[in-house]
Amino acid sequence: MRNRLFVFTGLFLLCIFCFEACSPEPKALPILGERDIEHGDTIYHEVPDMVLVDQDSQAFQLSKLGDKIVIADFFFTSCPSICPRVAKQMTRLYDHYKNDDRIVFVSHTIDQRNDSVTVLKTYSENLGANNVNWKFVTGEKDSIRLLADNYFVSVVDDPSAPAGFDHSGRIILLDKNRHVRGFCEGTDPESVAGFFKTIDQLLSEEYAK
Amino acid sequence: MRNSLPVILLAGFFLVYACQPNPYRQGKILYNTQCAGCHSEDGSGLAKLIPALDTTLLKLRQPQELVCLIRNGLPFDSLTRQQMPANKSMTDVEMANLVNYLGVKYIGSPQVVRVEEVTQMYTACQSWKRPE
Repeated sequence: MRNRLFVFTGLFLLCIFCFEACSPEPKALPILGERDIEHGDTIYHEVPDMVLVDQDSQAFQLSKLGDKIVIADFFFTSCPSICPRVAKQMTRLYDHYKNDDRIVFVSHTIDQRNDSVTVLKTYSENLGANNVNWKFVTGEKDSIRLLADNYFVSVVDDPSAPAGFDHSGRIILLDKNRHVRGFCEGTDPESVAGFFKTIDQLLSEEYAK
Repeated sequence: MRNSLPVILLAGFFLVYACQPNPYRQGKILYNTQCAGCHSEDGSGLAKLIPALDTTLLKLRQPQELVCLIRNGLPFDSLTRQQMPANKSMTDVEMANLVNYLGVKYIGSPQVVRVEEVTQMYTACQSWKRPE
């Protein structure tokens, strides 16, 4: 009789354990990048609040977007290698979130010489982007490079690469405070599939009311 | 009875293999490595920047113009800022496979290109003009 009691208790505890193990609480999205401690406060990595220019010649600044999260990438219009793939994935994300005004998409050109505001405008129209919540921006070359660095996207001049640039196809997720909260590889559809969940999680964390 | 099982399995395997919707497997691999980066795995292209293959292929006089297009590419388009690259290092076998793969995938009853015909087709490319 006692043996049976032990067995049942053991099974019961096992069931509870399994249940807990199989449906764990989702962890909060980390804030990526280095952090400092200043006077007891943690200072997280922030993307600089640079003033850039968008496809309509309007000034663009992250802090002026209002309470929005940002999905960003770095590209250039005549990019023959990875950009069509990444742009395809950006449109995939865009099609899903375009009616959600908590999100802004930002594509930064790294080809300051050729991608003028007019070129960006035409490109965005051909891509089917609504310029209200998908901005195509440019700025000084050094500023854009510094920005890419802060977004953890590598951009380098490489004379042997097509069009002279070598850059990463990462798509980055920022929260309302310009902290990097996630990223995916824009060249990999599976990586982007996982990114949807990251975005949804950030939305539920940032707009939890 | 026991001896005929492997024969049945083998026959079944060949039946499945032969009844593949698209028999040009090398063409499919070539497409995925050379073309899908821009035209997408499913051939849907990229909005108005990179054409979808089903509509594009139907506009071309098959298979001659398709062969020329793949071989020579297109000039840089200043409006879309895209350029279809040339593929001059593709062998005749590869070209035939790719064109036949595309034909089966995107055109109803494609004219099959034989490997021997490919080099001849290149010479006719000089007078070819880009489709509107």
